[in-house]
Formats: sequence, structure tokens, C-alpha cells
Amino acid sequence: MTAAPLLPSPFSDYTCDRACYDEMFNRDAEPRAHYQKLYERLGDLSPDELLSRQQTADLSFLHQGITFTVYGNEEGAERIFPFDLIPRVISSAEWKTIERGLTQRIIALNLFLDDIYHEGKILADRVVPYDLIYSCRHFRREMRGVKVPHGIYVSICGTDLVHLNDGQYVVLEDNLRVPSGVSYMLANRQVMKRVFPRLIADYGVRPIDHYGRALLGVLESLAPPQHHHPTMALLTPGVYNSAYYEHMFLARLMGIEMVEGRDLLVHDNVVYMRTTSGLRRVDVIYRRVDDDFLDPLTFRADSRLGVPGLFNAYRAGNIVLANAIGTGVADDKAVYYYVPDIIRYYLNEEPILANVETFLLSDPVQRQHVLQHIDKMAIKAVGESGGYGMLIGTHSTAEERAKFADLIQANPRNYIAQPILALSKAPCFIDGQIESRHIDLRPYILYDGQAVTIAPGGLTRVALRRGSLVVNSSQGGGSKDTWVLYD
Amino acid sequence: MYYSIQHITAFRYSEPISESVMEVRMQPRSEGAQRCLSFQFRISPKAGLTSYRDYLGNSIHHFDIPGRHQKLAIVADSIVEVRPGLVVPERLPDDAWQQLDGEARTSETLDYLLASALAAPTDLLYDLAGDLDIRRRDDPLTVLRAITEAMYHTFEYAPDATEVDSPIDVALRTRQGVCQDYSHIMIALIRQLGIPARYVSGYLYHRTGNSADRSARDATHAWVEAWLPQLGWVGFDPTNNLICGERHIRVAVGRDYADVPPTRGVFKGSADTELTVAVKVAQTDDLPILDDIQPETYTSGAMTSSQEQSQQQ
Repeated sequence: MTAAPLLPSPFSDYTCDRACYDEMFNRDAEPRAHYQKLYERLGDLSPDELLSRQQTADLSFLHQGITFTVYGNEEGAERIFPFDLIPRVISSAEWKTIERGLTQRIIALNLFLDDIYHEGKILADRVVPYDLIYSCRHFRREMRGVKVPHGIYVSICGTDLVHLNDGQYVVLEDNLRVPSGVSYMLANRQVMKRVFPRLIADYGVRPIDHYGRALLGVLESLAPPQHHHPTMALLTPGVYNSAYYEHMFLARLMGIEMVEGRDLLVHDNVVYMRTTSGLRRVDVIYRRVDDDFLDPLTFRADSRLGVPGLFNAYRAGNIVLANAIGTGVADDKAVYYYVPDIIRYYLNEEPILANVETFLLSDPVQRQHVLQHIDKMAIKAVGESGGYGMLIGTHSTAEERAKFADLIQANPRNYIAQPILALSKAPCFIDGQIESRHIDLRPYILYDGQAVTIAPGGLTRVALRRGSLVVNSSQGGGSKDTWVLYD
Repeated sequence: MYYSIQHITAFRYSEPISESVMEVRMQPRSEGAQRCLSFQFRISPKAGLTSYRDYLGNSIHHFDIPGRHQKLAIVADSIVEVRPGLVVPERLPDDAWQQLDGEARTSETLDYLLASALAAPTDLLYDLAGDLDIRRRDDPLTVLRAITEAMYHTFEYAPDATEVDSPIDVALRTRQGVCQDYSHIMIALIRQLGIPARYVSGYLYHRTGNSADRSARDATHAWVEAWLPQLGWVGFDPTNNLICGERHIRVAVGRDYADVPPTRGVFKGSADTELTVAVKVAQTDDLPILDDIQPETYTSGAMTSSQEQSQQQ
């Protein structure tokens, strides 16, 4: 790590970290072209002015009640999602590549899901091994042979990208079940419009506020064609879910009902919503409840969050669920390893966005290698998300490493390893000054079987602790607005 | 050979319940040497019935009863023809293990090699495998015959030793159990040998008069199918030390019992459930008169569903 020449205030204490890509500054510590105006504007502002804008932003989040819940501590505490004042800027050229890559990926993953729940050609052709799929916890045998509208399994996706030192964006993981965070993307923009109204207007930032309409459009397109005015609802696990705020936000944004399992009822294989004026048939459910908890008759019998009989109504085509049931098999972190091959297999194209180098721990040779270098690896449980069930070798104790080594030996299929990535860094306003912090990017992708719609940008997550590489909100991360520029 | 089967399930609840939703797997399969000629299903209280076939070829009927009720009865009547099936040879060729390995892991049969929740190996299972000296030798068929016989002699048939949801360790500890335990243990044993194995629920026709069959007469039954090269799925009944034939009537197949319970339901309310199951399997050489029966009709009567199912005997 070498310190670059000192920059003028308010960047006087800013260090360009040569070990990773700096979003704002190039190798010579000059601002990149698409950051130039932002750099100048920030230079005009005194630390006091920045602080006052940060306070305005924080207050705005507090008033909107934008919170999330952290699991794993006693209180189940609800927190404000920390917001960083300085936007992340993505050039038009960078975005074009990202957009093409994500489009290619969601199309291929949908073809993959359709295949493994029907013919299983990719398995018979030995491109993806049978045992990988059949041993996947999120593979739903009940879905075999079940037709879903337009053959689309994943219509709502959030894919995590990281920007590496060579300037390349790579895919860290796909979130194909119930990706969250899009409400923060939208809220961040609203707040930025209040805090930097002129800058954002002059900068040529592509808007994202059509996301709600686009999401509603996707849900409508999945409804049975005979229903001209389909009734849609968002199914939430309830107030104890970490993303409850987001569920409310999205339901309100789309003007649809938010329901819990107990608000729904299946009768004669049709799903109804209990309303004050009696039962009302529901056609499409944007479900934010995991497969396991959707229907105690078919999945976990102890679930109190689901709707008994929902699966049978679904398999009969009487209700649409978005995303479909069983999509988790395609974002299993060991299946992720095969996504480049999956793209080649179905689309006969080379992947536009690369994967991160990944070691499959079910393979004895790779496992041996990983166990020998565990202090330099990130170990992840294949079916987890949100930064849970994970070890960062460089930031771990010997005890933690030994625990993970035992876990891997006991169930190698359940873990993968990746080298620890140098996530890019971006300037953040922290404790009254601008410092660099690691960030990633989660764009939100919508797919109705015809067109792929990606809100330009996405959620840039920030690892707020100095030196930390973990950006998950549940693990002390924050976020910032993401600006994709016009050509 | 023709069989007429009546399978009655009655639930009584200690308190009125509502919104019960129930799935039933009782329709005999039609494949190979077996044909289900007629299937009649009656529910009481009255309910609309829907059915479908799952990816395993099992027929599933389901219904819901929204109103309050304290009793639920299901009557399934079927007429099934079973013809002499595959003649199982004495043994398989010497290279059968290699053939098995070549085919089983690279097709859907792999799903039946992986451990499933109710038939997952445990330390006690490994102990049993050691005690019975279960390992690859001779050919797979010879080994399966030997395991069927060893299971029969090692375990005592004891209807009250286990519950419907008992893990295999309960039966392994006491060496007692019913067909469900025999089947889960045998499935776990043979998957360890790399032989795909699945669970079959159905009925066994008991001959009149003296019968060597140990499993309970007039009850549902369960056994094991193993996948073998050249032969496909072959049935083994460890409870009765039999290779399955014309007396075994197949209803549903799955990885273990959890895939095939005769009934599975959820209801709203807090009540204890009392379950009564009655099964009659009668045999004739001629096709029974079908005049009065229309396949898949259902009529009404009085009652609802509960948390789980009936233990297979």
C-alpha cells in the first residue's frame, strides 16, 4: 500500500490504495473523467457544509423509517441503514458492459432452471453433474414437470458485482430467490435529489424511478392472459423480517396489497385474500417468503408464515408466484461455479461478465488446496446469503479457521472457497472527512420473458469499517447512491 | 389376479377445527404388471377434489374443508389387476457391480443414492452394517437377497415399538419395528453399497388361512425397491423376507416415507387428533363387477384433516 500525493481539501487525508481499484482516482491520483465534476463540487464544499448535508440526509432516512433488522444478536435490533453522502459514479461505457453481461446471465439462468426442472439435458450432457443438483438444498423436486408462466423462473434478480483492480467488473453472486435492497436504491436517490439537487440535475444521471412501474409490469405480464385486471399482492413474512420496511415500501410503490400468510386462504385450489368485504381472488403474488416457508403442506410443516395448499394451487396454474419456487438451486454457490458453462451451453456465447475464481470443496484436490491456504481464502456456505455462514481468512482467528476446516471436512458439498478479492474503493464521507472504503454493486434486474429491464446502477454497498471487505447491511455495511451517466 | 381394496381413514378431533387442507396418496399406480382399473374416492364432509400426477408418477388427490368440523373420513376404493411380472433371476452377471456404477451415478437414479431425511445413515446403522457383514461381494442381486433375509431375522416385528415419525435409530436400538422401519433401514443400508433404493407404499394381499406373512393383515404396507442394471427397479420386502411379486400392490414411490404418506394435512385450530385406519384387500380371479363404480367419483359424508398421516404397518 503506497500513499499517493496529498490532494487538496477535502481530500487532504484521502489515501489512494494501490492494492485495489479506486473509483474516483486513477493511478496518478487524478480524478477519472466521469468523476471530475463531482470532485470539483466536493472541493467547493467545506467539511461543515458536507456535515450539514449528511445530517439532512440522515434525518430524511429517519423520518421515512428506512430500517432493517439485524439477526444474530439478542435484540433483533432495528437499525437505520447507514447512508453515505458521496455518490458512486459509473460511466456509460462501463454500464453498457454490465447491462449486456447481466442480461446474458439472467436469460441463461432461466433456461437452466427450466431445463433442470423438465428434461435435464444439461445434466444428461454432463455439463453440470447430477449430484450437484440433487444434493442442493434448494432443489425442489416438487417443481419437476411443473409449468411456470412463459417458462420464467427468475423475473426479479439482484446480482452482486465487484470492480477489480484491472477495472473489470466480475460477478460475486447471483441472488435469484428474494433479493432485497431495491428500496434503498430508490430511497438513496430521493435523498440525493434533496441534498444535491443541482449537481444531480446537471450531471446527466440516468433516472431509476421507473423501477416500481417496471416491477408491476413484470408481475402483470406473468398473470394468466384471461385476467385483464389481475389482483396482485406482496407476501411478506411479517414485521420480524429484516426487509419488512422494503416490503411495505414496494407494495405502496406499486399500489398493491401487502399480505401475510394468514391473510391468504386456499379453497378448491384457488388462492383468496381475506378482505373486510369478504374473500377476493388473487392472481399474482410477489412473494418475499422463502420456499421453505411458503406452504406447510408441501414444505416445512412447522412454518407459520405460509399458506396451506398454496403449492398445489401454484402447480395447477391458479396462482403465479414471483419468483418461481425452486430458483435457489441456480444461486447455490457451488452451482455458481458452473454459470460460465451454463451460459455457453444454452446461449452458445462467451460470458460477458466473468465469475470470481471459485474452489469446489467437494473436490478432494481443490479442498486440499483450500485447507492449506485457508488464511487467504473466503469460505462461504453454498446456500446462505446476506454474509451469514462465511469466513474471511485474512480477518479470522485461528479458532475460527479451525472451526471452518472442521465444517468443510464434515460436509464439503456445503462450502466453496474464493480468493479474497480486492473490492474497489470509493470516497466516503466518514467522521467529518473523506476516506476511501470498499464497495460492491447490486444491480436489480427484471425479466418478463421478452425483455430484460435493469434500473441503471443499483445499490452500491459500502463496508463502513475501515479495511473491512464485508458490505452486507447485516454485517455493518452502508450504502450510497449510484449514478450511471448518459452517453 | 384382481384385487379390490378399500382404505378407510377417519380423523376425530377433540375440538372443532377449520380450514383443513389435505393431500392423499392412495391411488394404486398403473405401470408394468399392475393396472389400476378403478379408483373411487369419497370424503366426508363434502369437499371438492383435485388430483394430479407428480414427477414420480404418483397420483395425488387433494381437497380442503373451510368450515368447522370435528370429524373427517376418507374412503378410497380401488380395483387393481396385477399380472405376473418380471422374473427375477437367481443372480446377476459378475460384471454387474461395474455396470451399476457406470449407470447409477450418471442418471436420475442418482437421486436414490443420496441420503434422504428419513433414511440417512447413522452410527447405529453403520454398526448394523458391520454386524450383518454388509459389503459388496458376489453380485448386487445376491447381496440384496441376503440383506432382505438378514433384516427379516435381525428385527422383530413389533407394531408399538416405533411411531410414524420415528428416526431409524429407534428401531436400530431395539431391533424392533414395523414395515416402515424395516424399509428405511434397508434403504439406508443398500444406498451405502451404491445401489439406488426407493420406498414403496402400498398393500400386501395376505393369503387366506395360514400365512407366513409377518406384516399386519388389513393394513397399509411398505417395502423397498432397488435399481439394478438390466432389471430396473426390483421390489424387496424385508418385513416378510420376500421378493415382491403378484401380492404386492404398489401405490406410491419416493425417496422415503416423507415423499409418500397416505394422508398429509394441515388445519387451523388446536385439537388432539385421533386417527383410525381400516384396510381390506380382497382377491378374485375374475374381474369384479364394475357397473356401480365410476372411476374418480366422490360423494359426501361427515368430517377433516390433521397434522400427519397413518403409520404404515
